Formats: sequence, structure tokens, C-alpha cells
Amino acid sequence: MTQPSPNMRVAGDSHVGKVRTTNEDALIIEPRAGLYAVLDGMGGANAGDIASQLARDTIRDFVLHRRTALPPKALLEAAITAGSSAVFTAARRHRERHGMGTTVVACLIVDPAHAVIAHVGDSRAYLLRDGRLSPLTRDHTIVEELVERGLLAAEEAERHPYKNVLSRNLGAKAEARIDTLDLELGPGDRLLLCSDGLHGYAAAEAIQYLLGSGDAPEHVAHDLIELALRGGGGDNVSTIVIEAPAAPPSSTQVVRTSGATAWWQHRHRFLEVASDTGLTRNPIVRGLLPQEALELVAASLCQAIYHDLEKSTGVNVWTFAQNLAAGWFERGGEWKAVRGLIDILGTSARTVVHDIRARDAELGYLLDVAVSRSLIVIELALGGLLAERLRQVDSDLIELQTTGADTAEHDTLETIEITERPSERFLDRPTIPFLRPDRPVTSAGESAEVLHAIAQAITIARGRLSPRAELAAQILIALEAVATDRGGNFAAAVLAARELYGVRPVDNAGVMPLFDAFDKARILTASSVHQLRAPQAVRARVLRALSVAHQRLVGATTGLVLEAVAPFSERLREFQAVTNELREAVAKAERRRADLERRFATIVDPSLPWGARGTTEW
Amino acid sequence: MPDTDLAEAMRVLRDEVLDTVSHGDREPPGTEVFEALLRALSIGGESVPGLDLSLHDAVARRLAWGDSEESVLADAELVFDRLLVSVDRALRDPADQMVVIEAATQVAVTVSRVVALAAVARAGRDRAARMREEMSHQQLQEVLEKQKATIQRLEHELTQDFR
Repeated sequence: MTQPSPNMRVAGDSHVGKVRTTNEDALIIEPRAGLYAVLDGMGGANAGDIASQLARDTIRDFVLHRRTALPPKALLEAAITAGSSAVFTAARRHRERHGMGTTVVACLIVDPAHAVIAHVGDSRAYLLRDGRLSPLTRDHTIVEELVERGLLAAEEAERHPYKNVLSRNLGAKAEARIDTLDLELGPGDRLLLCSDGLHGYAAAEAIQYLLGSGDAPEHVAHDLIELALRGGGGDNVSTIVIEAPAAPPSSTQVVRTSGATAWWQHRHRFLEVASDTGLTRNPIVRGLLPQEALELVAASLCQAIYHDLEKSTGVNVWTFAQNLAAGWFERGGEWKAVRGLIDILGTSARTVVHDIRARDAELGYLLDVAVSRSLIVIELALGGLLAERLRQVDSDLIELQTTGADTAEHDTLETIEITERPSERFLDRPTIPFLRPDRPVTSAGESAEVLHAIAQAITIARGRLSPRAELAAQILIALEAVATDRGGNFAAAVLAARELYGVRPVDNAGVMPLFDAFDKARILTASSVHQLRAPQAVRARVLRALSVAHQRLVGATTGLVLEAVAPFSERLREFQAVTNELREAVAKAERRRADLERRFATIVDPSLPWGARGTTEW
Repeated sequence: MPDTDLAEAMRVLRDEVLDTVSHGDREPPGTEVFEALLRALSIGGESVPGLDLSLHDAVARRLAWGDSEESVLADAELVFDRLLVSVDRALRDPADQMVVIEAATQVAVTVSRVVALAAVARAGRDRAARMREEMSHQQLQEVLEKQKATIQRLEHELTQDFR
């Protein structure tokens, strides 16, 4: 037999109650063997407690001595049979103990995921799983047996005068009839073994509430007894609460709790490594005191990583990288400096993770993965910014080339006769293939400054968006495309709206999420515009451009909804037309039938005057 | 400028934005959008989407009077565009402009949402009506079949009697 898990938490308690003078209940709490039981003795002249104690000792000794010899179920059955035999024999030997007996409900923990439950009499076992309490045993009472055989209705059983009279117990015969049950235990499951002093005086709902309260088993066992006492305490009451080990926390939970805490505790180490590896000498922080540089850059990243670890997101790190690099690029800074700084910060982060790993390999490993992900998010954010910059360069080059070509062509016309030459415009050649934009990068109406600010606002908004808000993220991309569209017409909005609309059912559940996402994107972009570090006039232009784009996009999307709805009306009209045709056909047939019946009537009754024939009955 | 003053400032632009001159005594199309904008500016801040019941009501009333969803949407767009032009011209302070633009976008988006909701609801009604029509077809077909049988029987009996 496998040893029960040391993580299994067990506690038991017993109380004489408010009416009885002796406690005839007995408990077995034997963690070494994984054996737990509640026994409720019965019989006059103090024999009840003798029966329960005798059975308790016999069962416990049997299991302790033979636990390796028999399989769990057989072991428990044999132990209870031995207990019954012992009580039976003792009762026969002593006249004054004649008729004594005991109930038993026992649980043998085989391993953390497997238990065997056995019972005789009306002591019960309950299982609490996922907050729901379910009984594992059925009372061995005469009334219950009658109900089971269909001789008594369940409602009648509740009111039956013999509802507490046992049909089975230990001691009545040398061999008891035992009910056993193999039980698979789940993580966090709780088992309750109790005598009828609990379930006879406390409601099942209250038992469920206390058992599911999450309090430690010793508190629960005690509280359950309090509950029975408050319910009257008319009998001895005993409880044992067994709690299976909880599921190990997921790696995400570990990172969120222990990982984030460990990271934060090592923040000074992070700053120290950053300082040692030359962060304070980086051109980006030139002009700042070393401590200021460390606080502004290293401590900010350290904090951003901490928040992302806590929430399992990359939002804070993304924003950090965007702010850092965007600010530097705006000042005309070089890429090399950003690269150098990020490398320093990366080294610092890895050193901290290495330190944590040396102390706690498992946590260190999880943290390594999480921090590496944060570093990748930084690279992605930088990549996005670089792409924006390259687009800008590409656009400037296109403009330059176009102007140059026009001038060259003008000169050529003046000096030389027109010659056929293949068009080699810069525009026609892919300069940076992966950035060759389907969407134009400049707008006729907006300056480069405003366009740049639009891109920035969208980037900020994207950074603040939850990773799960995919639709809103798509809307932000579409907004940027529409706001920076050179044509300034509806085409870009319609194209973007079609992409957003995709395929969705024409009902509230299909359409409303789109509008909810539009609202989310609108609120986000508006607040992101306010965060831009640009003159207010520029911000107003940006907000205007984005608002117009938003309105166009939503309008186009609503147009698509109307488009999707139109077939319903058309189909209805078609059906209505068919209905009208059918009605006309029915009316025509009705007229024909009436005509025939009139003719028929005149034939049947020729005495009718011609003028009145056929009209009397209509 | 406080938002209530801003609402007053915008109220002055009513004729310009709604182009009331072209519509004489009639209520100019898109009035509901302008009124909603004034309400949004008076209240200030962000409202829960779709909570502007007056706007819902106004759009629903227009639809009930027979205006198409497309026309409601087009009017809203027209008012929005005119509004932006007027704001550029009439409000000097970019901060004020931003407040009005935000409110106008919110209203425009709400109108779209209301129109889309109305259209989806109409689709539901049309779908149900079509099913009723289908049932009518079935019943009418059955009646027609019975009538045909009766007519055939009567024609046959008439021929027999004449014989």
C-alpha cells in the first residue's frame, strides 16, 4: 500500500453534547496508516462507549499490523469485521453489556488521489468537491432499507417513528455487513466523517458552508461541532475533516506571486549591474547625474517588468521601450545608443534572474522565461518604432526622387528632343520591400509632424490595450490607416471596415461587440492624444484626424451592417409577393367554386327564379 | 472654457452646422446629432455607450416616420463634417476644439450604433415576418388544393347531371 501523502491535512474533534453525560463516540486519527474513523457506540449501562472504544482499538490495530498484507479495500473490510467480532464477543461475555454495538464510518487514504470509505450504521461520510457537498454513505436504518426496497416513500421516511433505528451495527453479529466505496480524490477535496450528532442537528447547507469555508481542518472540525451544539446538541457529536492536497499552483501563478516578489527584492542588484555595465555613460542619459539616470531608466524598467510579471502582460515593458526610444529618436538620437542601453538593461535583467536561479532553480527557470519574454517585448516595441522611422525615410526619399525626376525631365525637354525611355521612377522600384506600403504614408492635408504624432498616439493606445482586446487592436490599426490615408476619401475606410467586419451573424451578439470595440478604441485614442508630448495645436490636429477616421470607419461599418441586413427585407418582399399571388389564386378559385355551386343549386332546384337562383345561400 | 460655456458657444453655431436656411420651417436633418452634442458638452465627460436615450429616441422617431437608416447615417455624417469645419473656424483654443471634437465623435459613433441596432432589429423582424409568410404560403396552398378538388368535383357532377 502506498504511503498517504504528508500533505494531507486532517483534524478531528468530539463533544459529549448538551444532553448526554457520557461521550459514546470514538475517533481514529492515524496518519501513519492513513486511517480515520468515527464510531458511535450504543447500549445501556455505559456499554456504548465500551463498544465504540473496543471497535476503535481493534480496527486501528488490525490496520496498523496488516496494512502491507492486504489490498486497501480488503484490509478495511477485514479490520471492521474484526472490530465487529470483538464487540460481539465482549457483549456475549458480559451480561450487562449484552446488546451493545457501535456504528463506524472509516476512511483509508491509499494515496493522495485515492481513498476507501467503509461504513456500518448511521455515521456518515461526505465529500466536498468544488464547493458542493455530497453524501458518500447511506444510513443503515430500517426506514432507509424500506425506502430502498420501494416499500416506503422518501417523504414518509422523514416522518417515520423508527427512522433512527439501525438495521446494521458492529457487535450485533460476529460479522458485520459493510458497505465500501473506492473514491478518487481530487486536489483540494475535503472529506467529512461524522456521527449522527452532527447531521441530526445541523442542516446540510450549514455543513457545506463550514466545510467549504477554506478554514483549516482543525477549525472546521471544531466549528462543525459548535454548529451541532447550537442546533440542540442532543447527542454526542464527532467530526473528522480530511483535506486532500491542493493542486500545485500553475507556473503563471508562481510567476505572478513568488516570481514578481523575488524580482522586486532584487531590484537593487538590477540597478547595481546596470551601473557597473555602463548605463550611466550611455549617450541617452547624458546630462543626468548617475543616480538620476539609474532611477529614470533602470528603475523604471525594473518596475515595468515587475508590473508585467504581476499581471502576466507585456504592456508596461512595451510602453517603457516606446517612450524611451521615441523620445530619443525625436531628439535626433542614434539607434546605436538605444541598442547599447537595451543590451545593458538586458544583461542586468539576466544577471538578476541568474542570481534568483542560483537560490531557487525552479522559480529561477520560470522567471527566466517570463523576463526573457519581457525582453522580447522590448525588442518588438523597438522594431515597431524602427519600422515607423524607415517608413518616414522611405516617404522622404520618394518625395525627393519625384521632385528630382520632374526637374530632370523639365531640363531634358528644354535641351534635347523627346526620347522614349523606360520609366524608372523611384516609386516603381521596391526600396524596402517589407515596408512597401499598400497604405500611403502621407496625407494630402496633414503635415509630417501630425502624421508622426498620429502614429505615436496609436502606438500609445496599442500599448495600453489589453492583449485580449484583439478587435480593438485591429480597429487601432485601421484607424491609423484611415487617418493617414493620402486619398482622404472613403475608400480606405470602407476597405478597413470590410476587414474588421469579416464574417459575423446579423444579430446583436454578432454586431454589438464591434461597436463596443469601436468605443473602446475611441476612448483609448482620445486619451492617448492627450498624452502626446506635442504642442496643443498639433494634438488638436491629431485628434481631429483620428476622430474623422473613426467616424468614417464606424460609418462604413454601419453601412456594411445595413448591407448585410438588406437581403432580409428583399426576401420578405419576395415572400410577400408570392403570398399575394397565392391569395389571388385562392380568391379566383373561390369565385369559380361559388359559380359552380350556384349552377349546381339551380339544377337541383329548378323552381328557383332565375334572378334568385344561386344567390339565396350566398 | 468650461464645458457649459462651450455648449453655449456651440449652440450659436446651430444654423451653420445644420444649414437651417436650406430647410425653411422644417426641422433640418441631423438635428438629433447636434442636440446630442450639446447634451454631451453640457454633461461633460464620457457617458456609457448607448446611454443617451434622447438620441436613441430621436433616431427611432425618424426611422418610425419613414426615414431610411442610410439617410439617418448620412445626415449624421454631414453634420459631423460641418461641425468640424465650424469648430476650426469658431473656436480658437485647441483645448476647446479637442473637447468638442471628442464629444462629436462620441455622438457620431452612438448614432452609428443606434442605426446598426435598429437595422439588426429590423432584420430580426423581417426574418420573423418571412417565416409567417412561409406559413401563410403553406396554408394558402392547402386551401387552393382543396378548392381545386371541390371545383373538379362540382364540374364532374354538373356534367353528370346534364347528361
